[in-house]
Amino acid sequence: MAHHSSTHKWPTADFTRVPYRVFYDADIYRSEADRLFRGPHWNYLCTETEISNPGDYVISYVGETQVVVNRTEDLTIMAFINSCAHRGAQLVRRLRGNTLSHTCAYHQWCYDTKGALLGVPQQRGVKGKGGMPADFDKAKHSLKTLRVETYKGLVFGTFSVATPPLHDYLGPKIREQIDRIFDRPLKLLGYYRQRIPANWKLYLENVKDPYHAGLLHLFHVTFGIYRPTMSGRVFMDETQGHSVLRTADIGEQQADVNTAYAGIDKYRPDYKLQDPSLFDVKPDYPDKVTNMILTIFPNVMLGQVANTFQIRHVRPKGLREFELFWTYFGFADDDNAAVEGKLRQSNFIGPAGYISLEDGEAGRLVQIGVEHREPSDMSVIEMGGRGPIADIDTLSTEVALRGFWKHYAQSMGFAPTGAD
Amino acid sequence: MRVLSSEAAPICAIRVLLDDYTACLDRDELERWPEFFVPDGIYKVLSRENVERGLSAPLIYYYSRGMMRDRVTALRDALTYEFVYTRHLVSGTQIARLSDGAYRVTSTFAIYQSTEEGVTRLFCVGGYEDRVAMTPDGPCFAERTVVVDTFGVLNLIAVPL
Repeated sequence: MAHHSSTHKWPTADFTRVPYRVFYDADIYRSEADRLFRGPHWNYLCTETEISNPGDYVISYVGETQVVVNRTEDLTIMAFINSCAHRGAQLVRRLRGNTLSHTCAYHQWCYDTKGALLGVPQQRGVKGKGGMPADFDKAKHSLKTLRVETYKGLVFGTFSVATPPLHDYLGPKIREQIDRIFDRPLKLLGYYRQRIPANWKLYLENVKDPYHAGLLHLFHVTFGIYRPTMSGRVFMDETQGHSVLRTADIGEQQADVNTAYAGIDKYRPDYKLQDPSLFDVKPDYPDKVTNMILTIFPNVMLGQVANTFQIRHVRPKGLREFELFWTYFGFADDDNAAVEGKLRQSNFIGPAGYISLEDGEAGRLVQIGVEHREPSDMSVIEMGGRGPIADIDTLSTEVALRGFWKHYAQSMGFAPTGAD
Repeated sequence: MRVLSSEAAPICAIRVLLDDYTACLDRDELERWPEFFVPDGIYKVLSRENVERGLSAPLIYYYSRGMMRDRVTALRDALTYEFVYTRHLVSGTQIARLSDGAYRVTSTFAIYQSTEEGVTRLFCVGGYEDRVAMTPDGPCFAERTVVVDTFGVLNLIAVPL
């Protein structure tokens, strides 16, 4: 099968340019389903906490493909495409539940939690007539399963045999950051869902971009969750497709803040909350990290904003829309005050949160803006410099976007610049 | 003519409160919004998905008029979101007096948004679950919990529901 993208070159070798086509080209979107979501990458599915007992299941997505993830009787985790092996009907019809067998509503074909076909009604016919052929072999009609691996309670799946082990796929720098947060059992606090009218990759750009965070989000800036004058670091794994943005409230000087925001209306040192009690929450870790955004290629983000911890799964719903599916959690050992603090700080995040609501708007604005640009038009990503893509100790940078696009272009088979 | 019971006056006053709340939001008079609550009133927006699963994470959780005023200030001065007109349709209101003299009030709502170019979309449906206190200034929300059925939020929630 010929891939459209191999006929296109990426415009610059250092990924300081991104063709706007990637946000509105239907051929590219179709190729992503094949090369990214069915390709050699680990796709986030759910947390182990959500399927802790035998028979527990949730429906998740790999790209747009609905996948059932369930805990088997022997406590392993299995995942399969949510489509019957007979005529393809959606098999599991509720988003979550508990069952040790899955029966298709259409003709009652029945499967176990590992996806093996257990029973076919009327296999031997009725009154000696009809039925399946004598050589019909149930063992050859299992559900389409995925490889599943977990890391620190996070469940991932892949369709490809070529995907390296999850441990290696994440790499040491990303694992270390996951270890920091997932150092104790989770307690699920809830879910948020947003339908954002933008191509899914615009959200990945957004959360890899510390440059916007202190400019679009006044709340961040004014209340000291995030300012570019804080101690900040942006770093990536070996492929540069995953990244971490870390901000710690260390070493900040008010004079630097004043210089950085000279002439910018968004920063208002006089701005005071009438009720600042939502900031009056004890930190969960002693390291003074106020903001940590970790993205794992292709489409999941783990985040800390103050005392809130969330998984954000970017689920494409067509070329121009995605669902942002938030899993908001605390820790099993949180006391009542810690839980209450996390509920108060839910006001920062989610579709109505002081900080996060603006990211939905940013995606909408970019999608509208790029939709009818010339095919050769490109975005400019030079904050932090051109040339080699490298980790950097500043928040005044867009380098993690360039790392994402580099890994994206390689994965999608865009020819490197200079190739024929 | 039907004889009005002793409950008629407070029930009328509560209905005026509900109508005025809706008018306040639809007319973009947000500065009045916190005044519909008692000073330590609670305003919560919850996803029906979380409510049905017993999960506590709220979409919005304010527990003082001060926090509500902070939201209004942020909406006016700071937050970036799409300009829209809104219309609330509220129906099916049920009012019951509680033993402590407050009232439990539940209603169904639909909120439509219309863009600057005059295109209208159904933004959100759900239910209000209120605890209304009778104060010397008339009925006020001690708590207004908004449970949204449209928890697959159409992009974002900016102004109060």
